[in-house]
Amino acid sequence: MIDLLNEILATLRHNKLRTALTGFAVSWGIFLLIVLLSVSRGLVNGMESMFGKRDTESMTIYGGWANKPYHGLKEDRPIELRDKSIEVLTVQNPEYIRDASANLSSDSTVISTSKDYITGGYQGVYPSTQRFEGLTIAEGRFINDSDIREGRKVIVLHKNNADMLFGREYPIGKQVRVGDLSFTVVGIYDHEWQKASYIPFSTARNMSGGSDRLRRITVGLRNVKDQQSSDKAERSVRETLGRQLQFDPDDESALWLWNRFSDYLRTSSAMGAIGLAVWVIGLLTMLSGIVGVSNIMFVSVRERTHEIGVKRAIGARPLSILKQIILESVAITTIFGYVGIVAGVITSQVISHYVGESDFFKNPTVDIAIAIQVTFVLILAGAFAGLFPALKSLKIKPVEALRDE
Amino acid sequence: MIIELKDVNKSYPGVVPLHVLKDINLSIDRGELVSIMGASGSGKSTLLNILGILDNYDSGEYRLDGNLIKNLSENKAADLRNYLIGFVFQSFNLINYKNALENVALPLFYRGISRKKRNILAMEQLDRMGMKDRATHLPGELSGGQKQRVAIARALITNPSLLLADEPTGALDSKTSREVMQVFRDLNAEGRTIVIVTHDPGVGEQTNRIIRISDGRIVS
Repeated sequence: MIDLLNEILATLRHNKLRTALTGFAVSWGIFLLIVLLSVSRGLVNGMESMFGKRDTESMTIYGGWANKPYHGLKEDRPIELRDKSIEVLTVQNPEYIRDASANLSSDSTVISTSKDYITGGYQGVYPSTQRFEGLTIAEGRFINDSDIREGRKVIVLHKNNADMLFGREYPIGKQVRVGDLSFTVVGIYDHEWQKASYIPFSTARNMSGGSDRLRRITVGLRNVKDQQSSDKAERSVRETLGRQLQFDPDDESALWLWNRFSDYLRTSSAMGAIGLAVWVIGLLTMLSGIVGVSNIMFVSVRERTHEIGVKRAIGARPLSILKQIILESVAITTIFGYVGIVAGVITSQVISHYVGESDFFKNPTVDIAIAIQVTFVLILAGAFAGLFPALKSLKIKPVEALRDE
Repeated sequence: MIIELKDVNKSYPGVVPLHVLKDINLSIDRGELVSIMGASGSGKSTLLNILGILDNYDSGEYRLDGNLIKNLSENKAADLRNYLIGFVFQSFNLINYKNALENVALPLFYRGISRKKRNILAMEQLDRMGMKDRATHLPGELSGGQKQRVAIARALITNPSLLLADEPTGALDSKTSREVMQVFRDLNAEGRTIVIVTHDPGVGEQTNRIIRISDGRIVS
């Protein structure tokens, strides 16, 4: 084995420039593969962390427009969600629905302190909204069940808004004015883009008065694992609400459903497709390097026809020649491939350092599993590149030794 | 009897097939120093190829040290070359990126002998050829005569039944030619069987028997 390696190193050293140029093509291919893989890994990580913050097992239901007649009711009528729908959904669908929450918002109400004011209104919500929206509590707590039951006048603010309203003061326990009413701040949350001010749903209902209409209901799902169970959950929502609100469950337009789980599935499969595409692109880039290696091995075999003939004449079996050519090709591919891997990893670290963390791009690194996969690909590719030249070398007859150069 | 050829025929196919060896009958005893002489195109190279198991023949029989050389597989032929024949070539045919010691040891590499043992044996052979102090030199750093000595050492390291030389002095000046021929005569005196293929009458004169070949037939 050591003899074989020495022999390979000697021949590679013999043609330094040629080896370097061929090797560069391989390094370049691997370099691109690694960088592409790490960038796609960054995209996947970014996407996963986005979904991770938000609850993927949830669905938001909006009232729509009935286009089909139902039990004597005519088509072409609006379907509106009611406060009661929340309870109906949770009670009648225990298999798929964990909890439900609704949202009652006022966009125009001004929230103020003596110091400053913010516009954008408030949102009356349920405790589960925190999970659905992926809100991180920085101080205090979120709206809880007793707040809902008792219709307390409490409010949870976004960190930036709290800063604006209170400055350096500690906001928890302080009072803010919401419209004409006074509310107690019970919690501060953090979120990248969601900036709403949250109050208990029941409180918001009391403030808006009268009607029990809802624009949307968000439900937490359970037992959804794949597209099929997710479809079943959607179907059961349509059936339950169809009975309550009088519409045909097959009437697609009666409800508009935003199912984050099927979104998640779709995005996951898109990410899988990106990963696959990166491998395909990377491998095709590498292929040009491999063809280069194969080509150079052909030249090398041709150049060494005489030498191979001599070796055959003094007793080398064909297989030992074959082995040498293939191993030489594997050596070129793996040595230069590793140069490419190292350069690729360094580059992805540099990218990670300069681009930094953002919503859609996170931690673009290549893990050990990918390194192993790539190594395996390298060895395989090297063997493949050497195969045809090696087969050609088998055709060299020992008589070549007697031919003059 | 080391070499025994019976009615060996060889022709190269083509539009007009070329019958290069015609009913060759030849025997060479153990310990002989023989030269095969002939003009170019006489068929002596083809005879050398057959003797060296580098090429096959169409009909007849060739026995080398008791082994029938006929329809051998590539592997079997390679092994027989390795064990029975030591080759010395006109252009030395040393591997130019290996030093003298490695070149001499190469045939043993194909026998799977360990590096350490190989190098000891190779050094012994170089020593016999008076080349011990050049062991680490590359072929490019050696003179023609020195290269041929290294090549002879490589041919001898397997202790072959037959030393087969193809124009061994063809690339050497007259002084070194004489030296190399002296090496062959010394080896023959030790009991080696040596066959030298040449067109140089001066070389032929220094052997004990001359086999002349012309138009594919042995003439004397």
